[in-house]
Amino acid sequence: MRLRPKSGDWVLAGLILLVIFLVPLVFVRQNTGIVTAIVAQDGAEIARIRLNGLADAIHVTYAGQYPGTILAENGRIRFQQAKCPDQICVHTGWISNPGQTAACLPARVLIRLEGTATGDVDVRLR
Amino acid sequence: MSDCDKANRDAAAQSHGWLRRLALNGLFIAMAIVLSVVERWIPITALVPIPGVKLGLANIVTLFLLFYAFWTDAAAVSLLRCLLTALMFGGMASLLFSLGGAMLALPAMMLTKAGYPRWFSVIGISVAGAVGHNLGQLGMAALTMKSLAVFSYLPVLLGAALVMGTLTALVAGPFFSAMERTGLVRRN
Repeated sequence: MRLRPKSGDWVLAGLILLVIFLVPLVFVRQNTGIVTAIVAQDGAEIARIRLNGLADAIHVTYAGQYPGTILAENGRIRFQQAKCPDQICVHTGWISNPGQTAACLPARVLIRLEGTATGDVDVRLR
Repeated sequence: MSDCDKANRDAAAQSHGWLRRLALNGLFIAMAIVLSVVERWIPITALVPIPGVKLGLANIVTLFLLFYAFWTDAAAVSLLRCLLTALMFGGMASLLFSLGGAMLALPAMMLTKAGYPRWFSVIGISVAGAVGHNLGQLGMAALTMKSLAVFSYLPVLLGAALVMGTLTALVAGPFFSAMERTGLVRRN
């Protein structure tokens, strides 16, 4: 059985590495310091939280077959607890950068972080 | 011996071949399920702290069937394995995702297998299967979440496919060679 990599193997590996470096360019927007978390269940938005300067932690609960709780703090957000079988969402932990996502696939809940575009910054310094 | 006897014997042999294939495929499904259970005992997320990443040991069975049986066997075994593991450990949601993975992993491996050994080694075939599996799952995730944002997870999953696919091939390759030396299996 042949295990020595052949030319096609290298091409495949090269393609994979290329996509790995290209995808972040599409998804990660410029971080202007203002991060908004958008929580959606089944594609419908259930919460939109501006993460910067959150004085108190915010809990977002969602219902359904696999209910759970999302915890938002200053600058970061995570799945705190969930009743889903795989617990992948909870193990994902905190996310804090624009373009990052955390998902609970069984519950169909997605947390998406967006960086605010330069057009609507609060303070502009010259 | 009359022609009638001979025809009967041929029919018996043929049905035996069919039964043999059925029994063997049942065995392979059982083996694949055992591998996907064993895989849960290996704390791979302790080594690479990425949620949702797994070794994909059950794919060794699909890979084996692609080399030593027909692609129809590989397809039947991997689809039934998805169905049974979902029934035993997951649920409807996990069935959807594993089917999505298998639906892309199989064609990816069949394509690269067609280029064996001229263009691809077992590593390439295994990695292609892992990439297909992860893409299929991500596609299913995008469909159920109704959002393309999940594709931001693509680089992580592709990196994982490269590493895990290679590891799986490094386990499968020597095992296949050993099986060939026993003379029990012949490459198709």
